[in-house]
This record gives sequence, structure tokens and C-alpha cells, in this order.
Amino acid sequence: MSVTTLDSRPARAPSRRRTALQQRVLRERTALVIILIIYMVPVLWLVATAYKPPKDMFSSPPTFIFEPTLHNFRRVFEVFDVWSLLKSSIIISLGSAVLSLLLGVPAGYALARSQSRYAIVIAYFFLAIRIVPIIATLIPFYLMMRDIGLLGTWWAVILVNTTLNCAFVTWMMFSYFRSLPKDMEEAALTDGCTLWGAFWRVALPTVIPGIIASALFCVMFSWNDFLVAMFLTNTDSKPLSVALLAAFGTKDITWGTLGALAHFSTIPIMLMALFLNRYFIQGVTRGVN
Amino acid sequence: MTSISAGTASVPRRRSGLRFTDRRKLFLFCLAVPAVAYVIAIAVYPLAQGIVYSFYDYNLLRRGGRMTFVGLENYRELLTDATGQRALINTFAFTFGAVVFEFVLGLGLALLLWRDSRFNRIALAFLLIPVTITPLVVGLIFRALLAVDYGYIGYYLAEWGITDPRGLFAGTSTALPTLIFIDIWEWTPLVALILLAGLKSLPGDILEAALADGATPAQRFRLVILPLLLPTVFLALVLRMMDAFRVFDSIFVTTGGGPADATNSMMVYGVKQGLQFFNIGYASAIGNVTILCIAFMAAAFALLIRRADVRANET
Repeated sequence: MSVTTLDSRPARAPSRRRTALQQRVLRERTALVIILIIYMVPVLWLVATAYKPPKDMFSSPPTFIFEPTLHNFRRVFEVFDVWSLLKSSIIISLGSAVLSLLLGVPAGYALARSQSRYAIVIAYFFLAIRIVPIIATLIPFYLMMRDIGLLGTWWAVILVNTTLNCAFVTWMMFSYFRSLPKDMEEAALTDGCTLWGAFWRVALPTVIPGIIASALFCVMFSWNDFLVAMFLTNTDSKPLSVALLAAFGTKDITWGTLGALAHFSTIPIMLMALFLNRYFIQGVTRGVN
Repeated sequence: MTSISAGTASVPRRRSGLRFTDRRKLFLFCLAVPAVAYVIAIAVYPLAQGIVYSFYDYNLLRRGGRMTFVGLENYRELLTDATGQRALINTFAFTFGAVVFEFVLGLGLALLLWRDSRFNRIALAFLLIPVTITPLVVGLIFRALLAVDYGYIGYYLAEWGITDPRGLFAGTSTALPTLIFIDIWEWTPLVALILLAGLKSLPGDILEAALADGATPAQRFRLVILPLLLPTVFLALVLRMMDAFRVFDSIFVTTGGGPADATNSMMVYGVKQGLQFFNIGYASAIGNVTILCIAFMAAAFALLIRRADVRANET
């Protein structure tokens, strides 16, 4: 991966072209700033609405200047059991992430190290699971959960999310382990290390970035999902995403309350992605090199 | 992570009769089995059940949920019924529009971000924020911004007579393009990120050689950069194609498939039929057709990649 961090652009000609280069950089940066503004406006709107007093919310034409208030946040806590929603979201996304890693990391290792020609077939099978639209499995799964009595529980959502997440983790870890030279493990095995030790103590510590990236994507996927959760949870087990949708239209909810609630559902993930930016980028670009 | 060690404790570590290579095979097999078994039980099995249901007239709310075998009737209905055809066409149009624009804009953005500087790294980090926001919330944001009476964008668009006075989502001809626009807004940075990784892994010496040969920037891009970038381009296109074809969240929260089915997608249609009307047989057929379409497009892309690879190796 070290190659990707290097600037592969050819070195620029010496100083006489320097001003031209500086102008070019300036043009590029101006374009980027404009694009950034296009991207930040809707996000900032979402944040700003949450602090808008109700009287300004539906004023037509829309007002740009208002006195910030925490009214919407108080209202959110009146209408919703925010902590319970947050708890559901956390349990569902962490539960699915942990389960996916437990299943996917060893499987990815096994597929990468296996000499069998079926290994690559199985690896592609995991990749193919990604293309399955959730609607094709959700209905039979819904009936299955109804029959075994898990409908309305966190487990139902965790189990479904884990299929897609586990397939993703397996493929991702397969590519990480495959790019890892076998020498270290072989050396450890010759020195009398067990097979388990070669996996757990030798190979695993070197792919920690891959594990972090996988975990990040699993959490993001489950946290952001609402289709699965909408049909498989009930009032007690529903996560934030479902509440956001339920809030919309059915109750006397303003955009301000919605914006306040959206704070809880978007900010944790946004911060996670910003702080773990390096791993986030690794996760997305894994297939490129 | 302790349950892994518990699960594999049964692996024979020092079983004397087994050769090392066999022990290793067994060990790797035991590591892979839980994930494979899990995916088969929770994804492949329901998938197979869905295929079976799709050949039945099966509605949970009618006739006590009894199943009647109808052969290909569900598929025939989907492909001949006006709503079903509309959903298929909409989904293809959405996918095509979104993927093409996301690719062109994403490539431009990637080229802008190519220079390795602190500024560009920070810009990239911020540009990736939309990718992390729930598609649900993105849909709601744009629904509010485009509202004609109080939305910051919608109000002025309608006021200045640029759009229908009832708003972009209310017009049958503007609703789908608006949804495509939202998708472009949310996912272009992701495409840019993938293409950027491709650009940064290009061999520097070839680029320098092109520069030394006096190629203009346009020539360099067309003759050197683009051919080398092709595998990454295909990867980005395939990933976005698969996700765009399954569009659900943004449509569900903005138009719900309306007005007059103008934005009904396969997923929206399938969810309505299956989980609101409990028309299990028909909804399963919708799901299976969706899988077939995606698989077909992915296969077409894979063939294109292979052909492009062969051509690149020949030259």
C-alpha cells in the first residue's frame, strides 16, 4: 500500500514554470473549494435546522437569520426515548460487526492460505453475496424469523446484517491476507508454533488495519440501514434510523425536531469516519491495487 | 475474540496419525466453515426459498396464506404489467444516469485531488462526509431543501419559474432526474476516491516519459492515463452500478415511488408488494429479476474488463 501514498505525478520542470504551476494549483484549489461548499451546504442546513425556532421553520420565503434555540432538542427528548433508540442502534451495529469479524476474519485467512482450487471459487461466492438485493432474502427471512419467534428482536436485524457484512469482511480479509507473505508464518511453524499460533499471533497482528477498516464498514452499514430494521424490529427494539422515518409524517414533528434527531444518527458515524479516515479510504480502495 | 479459540479447540493440534499438510488443510477448513455455513443458512437458503415462492401465488393476507403453484405467472405479470415495466425502466434509467454522471464528475474530482498535498487530503476527508450519512437522512435533507414553500432551494426555483410550482418531486418528468441528482451528490466522492487510488498507483516513470515526449495534458490523459486507469474505472462503475440498481432509501423517503409510478424502482416496488401487501410470490419474482439484471450487468462488465486487459497486454 505504500505506493498509493506517494505522489506518482511526474516531477515538474524547474523554476521558470513555477508561476504557471502555482497558478494551476490555485485554480485547482478554487474549484475544490467550490465543490466543498456544494457539499457542505446541505450538511450545514441539517445542523442549522435543529437550532431554528419553530416559528422560522416553515416561514415562506425561507429565513436565513434566526435566533438559535435548543427547543428542538428538548422536544426530541419529549417525543422519543432517544437513549433507547441510541442503545438499539449501538447494539445492532456493534453486534453485527463483532459477529461478522468473528466469522469473516478466520474465513478470509483460510481462503487466502488454502492451496485448494476451490478456495478462490468460495472467495468469489462471498463477493457475489454482495450483489443480492436485500428484498430477495428479506421476505423469506421475515417468515423464518416469525416462525422461530425472533421477529421484533435485535437478533433478527443482527443476523441479516451479518450475512452481507460477513461476506464483505471475508472478501476484504482474503485480499489482505493474500498480499501478506507466507514466510513469517512458515518460519514460526518451523520453530514449533502451532497452526493456531501462526494465524493468531503471527498473521493477525499484521492485518490490524484491515480489521479496523472492516469493522468500520460493518458498523456504518448496520447503523445506516433502515429497510431491514424497519420490518424486523418493533417499538422496543427499533434503532434511530427507523425512528427518523417514523417521526416523519406520523407525529407532529417539525424539520427542526428531525434535524435534532438526525444529530444523533449522523454525527457518531461522521466522526468515526473522519477520525478513522485512513482506514475508511483503505477499505474503499482495497480492490484497486 | 475468545469464541474463535473455543470454536477451533476441536482442531487436532497434535494428532499423531495425521501428516502436517493434512492437519493444515483441516485447520484451514475449520476456520472457513463457520462463515460459509452462516452465509448459506442466512442468505443462500432464504434466496432459494424466494425462488420457490416466486412460482407460487402466495399472499399472506389472502386465502389464509395458502400457496398455489402458478408457474411463471408472477414473472409474466411483472414484465407485462404497466407498473412492473415502469419500475424496470425507471431502475435502468436511474442506474445509467447516476453511474455515468458519477463517473464523469468523479474522474474530474479525482484529477483535482491528485496532487498530494495537505489541502487535498483535508478536502477529501470532508468530501467523504456525504458517503457516511445515512441515505435516509440525505433523502430527507433534499426533501426539505427542495420543498417549494420553505425550502432554501425549492422556494427560489419555483419562485423564479425555473421549476414546476409544486416542486421538483411533484412533476412526473422532474422527479426521477431529481433523485438521480441526489444519488450523484451522495456518491460522486466515493467514485472519486476509488479513481484517485487508481491514479496514485499509476507507474510514475510512464507519466514522466509522456511528459518528456512533449505530450499535451489532453494527450497524456487520453493516451496514457486513461488506458492504465481502465481496471479501476471498471471497478468503480461495477460497484456503483450494483448499488444504484438497488436504490431504495432515497426514493422511499422522498416520493415513495410517485408521482404516478414515475420514480418507482424495483426495490421500492418489491418492498411495497412484499412487506406492505404481503404479496410474497410476486415480490419474490421482483427480487429475482433484480438479481438477474445485476448479475447480467456485472457479467457484461467483467467481459469488458477482460477484453480491455487483453488489449492492454497486446499493445
